[in-house]
Amino acid sequence: MNDNTVSTFELGDALATRFGNTLTGVFVPGSKIALSAYRHVKWNSRDVPSETAGQDPVLIYLAQETTLFDEPVLRSLLAESNITFATLQELGQRAPRAEYLRISHMYRSVVRASLERLEHAKKSPEVQMDEERQQRISETVIVFYAAECLWHLFEILYMQQSQLIVPQLLDWARFYAPQIEDRATDFLLMAEEASENDDYWNVLKSLVMVGALDVTRAILRQNRKASQPAFKAAELILASMPVYKEGFPLKKFNSQWEHWHVDAERKIRANTFGSEPELEQILQLVTGSNEHWDAGIKESNEWYEFLPGYLFYTKPTCKPFELKIAAANWLNRWTLLRPCSQLNNMARMISQLMEHDLRLFIYDTQRINDTNWLTTHMIDLIYHSGELKSYFEQNNIDLPALRHSMIYEYGSYLMSTRSLWQLGIDYLDCCKQEGKAAMELLLPRISLRSDRHALKLMSVARKRGLIDVEQEICKVLSRQSFDDERYGNALEWGIRSKDVLLVTGIADFILKNYSQTGNMLCPDVIVHIKSRMFISPRLVFLSKYFEFYELYRSRDFLAAVELLVNLLNSKITPDYFWPSLLIDTVPLLESKDPKIFSNETVAILHHLETELVPIIERNTDKLGNQKNAETVFKDYRAENIDEILNILRLACARNLARSLVIENTSPES
Amino acid sequence: MSFPTVSSHFVSEKISAVRWLPEQLQQSDRFVTGSWDMDQNFVRLYRLQSNQYADTNVDFVPRCNDKVAIEGDVTAMEFADKNTLAVSCADGHLSLLNMQRAVEEDQLQRTARSERLHYFKRTNKSSPCTDLSVYGGDIATVGEDGCVNIMNASNIKQVKRTIEADSMSLLSVCYISQQQLVTANRMGVIRILDARASTAAQEKISIMVGSKDEKRSNFVSALGTHPMQHHILLCGTEEGTITVWDLRNLQFPASYLSAHESAITDIAFHRNDPSKVFTAAEEGEVWMWSENKGIGDRNLQDGKSAWLSGDRLRSLVNVDGVLTRIRKAINSFDMNGPRLICGGDTEAVYLVDNIF
Repeated sequence: MNDNTVSTFELGDALATRFGNTLTGVFVPGSKIALSAYRHVKWNSRDVPSETAGQDPVLIYLAQETTLFDEPVLRSLLAESNITFATLQELGQRAPRAEYLRISHMYRSVVRASLERLEHAKKSPEVQMDEERQQRISETVIVFYAAECLWHLFEILYMQQSQLIVPQLLDWARFYAPQIEDRATDFLLMAEEASENDDYWNVLKSLVMVGALDVTRAILRQNRKASQPAFKAAELILASMPVYKEGFPLKKFNSQWEHWHVDAERKIRANTFGSEPELEQILQLVTGSNEHWDAGIKESNEWYEFLPGYLFYTKPTCKPFELKIAAANWLNRWTLLRPCSQLNNMARMISQLMEHDLRLFIYDTQRINDTNWLTTHMIDLIYHSGELKSYFEQNNIDLPALRHSMIYEYGSYLMSTRSLWQLGIDYLDCCKQEGKAAMELLLPRISLRSDRHALKLMSVARKRGLIDVEQEICKVLSRQSFDDERYGNALEWGIRSKDVLLVTGIADFILKNYSQTGNMLCPDVIVHIKSRMFISPRLVFLSKYFEFYELYRSRDFLAAVELLVNLLNSKITPDYFWPSLLIDTVPLLESKDPKIFSNETVAILHHLETELVPIIERNTDKLGNQKNAETVFKDYRAENIDEILNILRLACARNLARSLVIENTSPES
Repeated sequence: MSFPTVSSHFVSEKISAVRWLPEQLQQSDRFVTGSWDMDQNFVRLYRLQSNQYADTNVDFVPRCNDKVAIEGDVTAMEFADKNTLAVSCADGHLSLLNMQRAVEEDQLQRTARSERLHYFKRTNKSSPCTDLSVYGGDIATVGEDGCVNIMNASNIKQVKRTIEADSMSLLSVCYISQQQLVTANRMGVIRILDARASTAAQEKISIMVGSKDEKRSNFVSALGTHPMQHHILLCGTEEGTITVWDLRNLQFPASYLSAHESAITDIAFHRNDPSKVFTAAEEGEVWMWSENKGIGDRNLQDGKSAWLSGDRLRSLVNVDGVLTRIRKAINSFDMNGPRLICGGDTEAVYLVDNIF
């Protein structure tokens, strides 16, 4: 991607082209943009249908950033790196350096495992059939291969303790240029035959230039002419080359190195290898002859390919800070020799790393098409390990803020992507209030697949103290169940939501339904509500009334009466339920053997006159005369409210008389 | 005694259910997983292979041999017989998959799919089928519509009985005998149903699990019975507590134990060694509860399980963390001899060898 090219897309919407090709866009959750045709309307434009109204449909286009993570195989990368990320957060900022190096290794092995899986998937018959997916996997492999390569180099240069970087750089370069080693393996297997191969010497030269000296020697020993003096002398020089080891006194090494160098050059000058010009070229490379290396550069594909090798032969004790100069020089040399070749992104980023230009490096990593996977995790690691702290301070980069924003973006991306939400949570968890706020917005947007799914979301929200989210989810589900006429389910969700109004509404519905039809909805749920009823007075009333209803049905009349009188006195009876409640007293009042005492009968009568009658009057006032009050109070057992009043009054009077007689004639105890 | 070894394998899927393939005479080295919350959900058949990379201490690596795409989230899986797997799905259907064991590549095939078993009556929308239980050849499924459907594995197109058990979502079901099953709903109410009786003829037997806060709902998320003494019922709840019922005495729970800090997702006795109980939790834990042989002797002499010993239970069982700090839900596990396999929302399967 180039800086100056802005990618353009063509929609070709018929409606939009009609009006000067204008579009309007709105951001919708999940980093999408909704585009639709737009016509500019001013204060003075007339509000009439346009002349072409109805000819073209209004289409809404959703534009979304493409992401490689659509590929199912790549999910393991996200899931595994998520675990490593969490481990790092637990590690904090004070762990020993080796721990951070281990984390870095873990991240890289995650990428490598995914690359292996991708390669494997690419070969599966399922993917072979699907060209688009194959293409996508290939792209993904390239992106993450580069990411791993860069991370590896970063790790060598900035994460490890060792000041000795050349051997690691050699390994690094060799790992990312496997073709040379593959050829070398072929040669080793072919043994003597290999020497006749056309590019025998070219491969050997490349091998030397990537610093694979042992392999070179092994191949040379298998040469047909290996027993000739020239080859023997070469072997001697190669074998005696001193290799710097950590902890070895530098001065002593340098003198050994100098001695070996002088000796080797002397042998070459003495024309020891005159009979074998190709062999001589190899030794020239080993002794660091500029002329021969220049020839090698011209052969190379990437500027960094032979740099570690060159350092190996010319500056084996190179320190990280010296690499900066060496790399710059080498890059200059490379561009001079190959003026027409351009640096690709990866080559540029490698040079940025080697030249300690991390600012640009971080800038460039953000443009890799990996939805910022690399940048986020790398910056987080830098932040925790405390390496490069001074660099960022000198360059005025606020590392904590950078990390925060990267993690926030990455976490939000995961949260808003279907089925990755659980991973996103861990990232947003480290973003303090902003993360919490983002979760509060994004969690309720996740479409609920089932109760289990909802319960999982709720436990996530509850653990983070996002009570509103939890209750929101419950409310939505309660509403849905209610619309599905699953009242028991709605009631339970309502109780979970702790929303008094919602629960009251559902309880009202159940009570009204009962008073109109005589059917109690979802009795199996109401009976188990128990102490959860205290969320709403209406629910308390419902539960208690249900208790009465059950007692009455099981013919435990005395207990039923007690409960009923309590309910009448409770002051939580909803207005609309008074008729039903009072009608319930009629059979008890009228039963053959009296069940209600005189005092209670008086209470019933009292309620009748002070509660029911005023309500009726109020309603009649409100509705006027054209509509009768009975339409408001509909109980399935009575057609006319006046009739009810009469029956009730009579029943009360009869029972009062009866009970007074019984109470006053019963033998005193 | 050898120490348990744990290895994790990332599978790029959220796992909702995992089961070992039953083997008669040998250690099973095949297992099936079902996924949920993915764009496309699968049941996959894995086989353990010896690890090719010698440098790690992981002995086995699972390799996917075959897969079958399922229409919605897989909610539960159970083997109806040696080669037949019953799979319940969130679109309200039940499927039967057949395994063919082979030397090289095992095969997995869907042989039957039921009619829509669970749906909401008013809107006629599918309701998720949430759990299933198998007894002999019978399969019972429960759904969010509150119904229980019973059919025979030989013909799942024909539903033998539908019981409208609850007016709330049912989350779990478990056979306790050929005729009886228990269901659990979201409020923590457990009902004992007669598989032979119609809805109207059901005796209304229900029990309720306790909860720490009486004013909160506490759903039963997992049920498990003792493999020999079917009257012992374990209930794992939303709060992470375990309630044990002796189904011969429904007056009060036999034991009550607070265990995990989060909802229990799966609970089971070890099939061959019922002195071990395993629990998995939403926050990524798998624990093993083992009966403390020494102290409990007197109690165990009469063949009574330690799990029925009420308040003394805590002193009669030891708890060990098999897996801890996974941080995301472990949704399902299964044991086979000394091996345990589990899977969850970390998109990995964990293979634990030598658990005891």
